[in-house]
Amino acid sequence: MTKTATIMIDDQTYQVPDGINLVDAAKLHGITIPVFCYHPKMESVGMCRMCLVELGSISVNRDTGEPDLNDDGSPVVRWFPKLQTACTQTVRDGTVVRTSTAQVLEARDNILEFILTSHPLDCPICDKGGECPLQNLTMAYGPGRSNFIYDDKLHLDKHVPLGELIYLDRERCIQCARCTRFCDELVGDDVLAFHERGRSLQIVTISDPPFDTKFSGNTTDICPVGALTTADFRFGARPWELDEVPTICPHCPVGCNLSASTRIDRDFGGKKMIKRIMPRQNELVNEIWTCDKGRFGHHHSRAADRLQHPMMRQGGEWVKIDWATAYHQIASKLKKYADSAGFLAGPTLSNEDLWELRQLAELTGDTPRLGVWPAAMTGAGVVAQVGIGVNTRLQDVGPETAILVIASDLEEEAPIWWLQIKQAADRGAAVVVANARETKLDRVTHTVVHYDYGDAVAVLNSFAARARSRRKTSKALLDNRVDGYDDLAAGLKGTRVPFADAADVLLDAENVIVFAGAEGLTLDQHRELMQAAANLLIITGHVGRQNNGLVPVWPGANVQGALDIGFSPETTASLIDEPPAMWFIGGADPAADDSQAAHVLANAEFVVVGAQFMTATAAQADIILPRQSFAEREGTYTNGMRRVQRFYAAQGPVGDALPDWTIYAQIGARLKGPKPPVSAAAVMRAITQHVPRYAGMGYSSLAHVEAQFPDVGGDDLYYGGTAYANHGGLGVQWATDAEDDSARLVVRPAQIEKPEKSGDLCIVPVRLLYDRGPLFEPSDIMHQRVPEPYLELNSQDAAHLSIADGDRVMVTAGEIQIETAARVNGHAPEGVVLWPRRLAHGPAPALFSACSVQKIEE
Amino acid sequence: MNLINGFATTIKHLLERPVTVQYPEQERAVRERFKGRHALKRYDNGLEKCIGCSLCAAACPADAIWVEAAENTDEERYSPGERYAKTYEINMLRCIFCGYCEDACPTEAIVLEHKYRLSFHDRRDAIYTKERLLDPPPAGAPDTPWVTEPGTFDRAIPIMQDPD
Repeated sequence: MTKTATIMIDDQTYQVPDGINLVDAAKLHGITIPVFCYHPKMESVGMCRMCLVELGSISVNRDTGEPDLNDDGSPVVRWFPKLQTACTQTVRDGTVVRTSTAQVLEARDNILEFILTSHPLDCPICDKGGECPLQNLTMAYGPGRSNFIYDDKLHLDKHVPLGELIYLDRERCIQCARCTRFCDELVGDDVLAFHERGRSLQIVTISDPPFDTKFSGNTTDICPVGALTTADFRFGARPWELDEVPTICPHCPVGCNLSASTRIDRDFGGKKMIKRIMPRQNELVNEIWTCDKGRFGHHHSRAADRLQHPMMRQGGEWVKIDWATAYHQIASKLKKYADSAGFLAGPTLSNEDLWELRQLAELTGDTPRLGVWPAAMTGAGVVAQVGIGVNTRLQDVGPETAILVIASDLEEEAPIWWLQIKQAADRGAAVVVANARETKLDRVTHTVVHYDYGDAVAVLNSFAARARSRRKTSKALLDNRVDGYDDLAAGLKGTRVPFADAADVLLDAENVIVFAGAEGLTLDQHRELMQAAANLLIITGHVGRQNNGLVPVWPGANVQGALDIGFSPETTASLIDEPPAMWFIGGADPAADDSQAAHVLANAEFVVVGAQFMTATAAQADIILPRQSFAEREGTYTNGMRRVQRFYAAQGPVGDALPDWTIYAQIGARLKGPKPPVSAAAVMRAITQHVPRYAGMGYSSLAHVEAQFPDVGGDDLYYGGTAYANHGGLGVQWATDAEDDSARLVVRPAQIEKPEKSGDLCIVPVRLLYDRGPLFEPSDIMHQRVPEPYLELNSQDAAHLSIADGDRVMVTAGEIQIETAARVNGHAPEGVVLWPRRLAHGPAPALFSACSVQKIEE
Repeated sequence: MNLINGFATTIKHLLERPVTVQYPEQERAVRERFKGRHALKRYDNGLEKCIGCSLCAAACPADAIWVEAAENTDEERYSPGERYAKTYEINMLRCIFCGYCEDACPTEAIVLEHKYRLSFHDRRDAIYTKERLLDPPPAGAPDTPWVTEPGTFDRAIPIMQDPD
C-alpha cells in the first residue's frame, strides 16, 4: 500500500499517492495541467513553461504540527510569489495548487503565443495535424490572434532527414527536448542533440550513420508537435481518417502491443491497408514503446511478391490450383504417408494455427511428429515450472532486483526488453550480463561475465554452487516443494566459482530475473542451460513471485505458444536426423536457415509448405499453400513472458491466401476429421478446453482492458498520438507451477557438455535484429539499416590471417563458401567467427563448424 | 364577383410570357452564389492549388469526398507545397451541394461552380475523379506534373497573403 498525500487543487481536496509528479497527480483526478516538455516516462525539465500554476503549501505550526488557520477556519496557505512549473513539483501533504486562475490562464496564453511566434501553422499538411498536442492546447488555452506580423516568422528548413526513417521540420520544433531526452536518458544512445542557442536552437543528429538507434520511431510519437515525422507514414493519411486496429508484433518474443492505423487505399485495390504502426499502451509488456523493426517492418503483409494462389508442382512447373484440389491432394497424401509424415510449425503461426495443425497431425496417426522452427531453444517444461512471475512489470524493477542476461544479445533479439533492462539499471537494478562476447548491454552494468563459448552452463552451475556455499538457499522451498535437490547438491559439491562477484550480485538481491538465450549453444546444451537457470532460481527461492523467474528469449514471436500446444524442438532435431517421407511445413523456412534441413527437404518424397513468399523452403515444395500474414487475420500469440495476446484483422486479403488454421481444418475435414470451425474464436475455445494452462483465455478475456497509469492515450491528447489507447486487450499471462503452492518443483544436475571444436576457427551463428528474413526484407524503408553481409573476426585471428577491418574475405565452411566483408571490431572471441544469421543469403553453417577464412586481394 | 376575379387572373396569365424554358436546348442563367458541381482550381502558373489535406472530406456531411495524398518531388511536382492530392474523388450521388468543402479548404482549391448538369448512366460515373474535377491549366501554362529545379519550392504550404 503506497502512502497517500492530501493535496488541494482548485480549492478541492484530493488523495493522491505521495511523492508523484504534480501533473500526474492532477491528471489522476481528471484535472488537466497542460504540458509540452513533460512526459510521464521521462525526468521533468521544466523547459516549455506551459504547466505554470499557482503553487503554495499549507502553513503548519512547528510546535503543534497542526495547520495554521485563518479567522474563518480555513488553513493558511503560503503561496510562491510567482507562478511555478507544475511538472517539476512532486506532491506532498499540504500542497496547494490553483490551475485556473486569471493569472495562470494569462500565462498559458502568453506561452502559447510565444511558442507559436515562428510556428509555420501548416497544420493542413502536417502529419501530426489532428493529433497534435500543440494544436489541441492552442485551441483550448491559446490566443485567438498573435501580436506578431505573419511575415516576421523565421523560415527554417522544412525537410531535414534525420537518418532515412525520420524527418525533422525545423520550423515546427518547439525545443521541448523530448526526443533528445528519450535518446539520452531512456535509450542511452548518443544520437540527437541541441545545436546553437536561443532562436537558432535546433535538433541535430550527431551519430554516423545519422540517428543510429533502434528506437528512433518512438521520438515521433512523443514529439508534441509535427517536428519529427516518419518517412514511412509521410502524408499517408490524416489521423482522423485512420481506423485503429489492435495487433501484436510478429517479429520477436517481446510481443509488443501495436496499433495498426489502417485506411482503404486506391493503390491497394481499394482494400484496407496498414498506413502506419504505432505502439499500443500495455504497461505489462512494451509500455508505450516499440522498436523500429516492429514499427516499420509491416510491409511484408502487402508485398507485391506475396503468394496469391495454391500451387502444385507438375513436371517441374508450378501450376495454379484451387483450394479444393489442394485440400484433396494433401489429404490423400497424408492418408498415404500417415505415420511417416512430419509436421513443422514456424514462429509466426498463431496459437489457433498451431492447434489446428496438431489436430490435423493427430488424424494421421496416434503419435504425430510435431516440430517447431527455429529449433534453437528448448525448455518448455522448465518455463512451465519457473517462468517469470505473473504480472511482472519490468518498469517497476529497481534496486532490490538483479537481472541476469545469459547467452543473448538482447538488443538484437528482443529490443524492448533491452530497453527496459537498461532503464531498470538506471533505477538501480543490478544487471549481470553473461555472454561469450561483448554485447551492447555490457554498457549498462559493471558486472559482466565473459565466458568461453560452451561454458554458459558451467557459469550458472557455479552460481548455484555459490548459493549453497553462502547458504543463500531457500530452506522453506527446498524442504517442502523441491524434488531432486540431493542429487543437485552432490553434483555441485566442489564446483569452482570463477565469477564470484557476479554470483554475489545475484545472490544478494531480493528478486532475480534470468533472461536466457541460446547464443553459441546447441539444442542439448541449451536444455541444460535452462535447467541450470531453473536450478539456480529454485534453490534460491526466486520463483513464483512478481519480478522473479525465467524469461526465455525465444527465436520468434510465438515459439512459446508452439511449445505450449505440443510442438517441440527436439522433434525437429529428430525430423532432420530421421527424415519423414512427407513434410508438412507451416510458416517456417528451414531451408534458408539450415543447410542440413535444406538437404533433407530436397530428398523428401512429398513436401507441403504454407508460406507467404517463395522462400527457399517453398521452392522445394510439391504443394504451396498461400498463408495470410498477421495483418489480414485474427489470432493470438504467446510472448516470452507467457502472456497470450490477441491480434485483429487489419488489412484486406491478398489473393486467395487463407489463415493457416482454416487450411489445416479444411484438410482435416477431408481426413474424416470434425467440421472446420467457423472462426478463430471457436478454435481458441477448443484450446481453452483442452490445454489446461489456456483455460479461461477465451477471446473476450484476452480483450479485457483496464485503466493504465500513466494515462497517455486519453482524450486530452497532450502526450501525443491517437493510437496509444489500448482497446484490444491486455492479454492474459498463464501461471507457472511455482505459483501453485501445491505443485512440486524439480531440480536436477545440469550437464556440462563442451562443444566439439573442429578447427582453429569455428563458426558461431548469431541473431541480428535487422536481417534479410522474409518478413523484414519487403520493408524497403529499412534497407539502409540492414548491414551488408559480414562476418566478425577476433583481432588476433585477423592479425594471423593479415585481415583488416573491412577487407573482403572468402569463407569456407564445409560445403558452404561465400565471399563477404570482415569486421574486426573486438567483439568476436578468439578462435570464433561470428556469423550473423539471415544476412548473407543462404543457410548458416552449423554451430562450431570449422571454417577457413582467406583474404581476397583487391 | 368571385367568378370574374378568377377569370381575370386566368386571362392575365394567358397574356404573360411563359416562365418555362426549353431545357436542355435553352439554359437559364444561375445566380452568382449558386452551388453546382465542384472544380479543383489551379494557380495562374498552372500548379494545382489542392494540397491533399482532406479537410474538405472531414467537413463533408455526406461523406462524399475521398482524398489520398502524396508528396511532391522536384521530378514530379503537382502543387507548390510539399503535398498534393494523389486521389481526389467526389461522389456526386452523395453530395448535397452544401459548400462546406469550399469553406474548409485552406487554399481555395475546391470551388462549387455553376455547372449543374449531372446525370449518369452508371453509378460509377457519379464518382468524379481528379481528372474530371481539375480545371485545365490557364492559357500558356504547362499542365502538371512539373519537373522543377531543386530549391524552387521549399515551403510546406504555398506562401499566402497575411490572413488579416
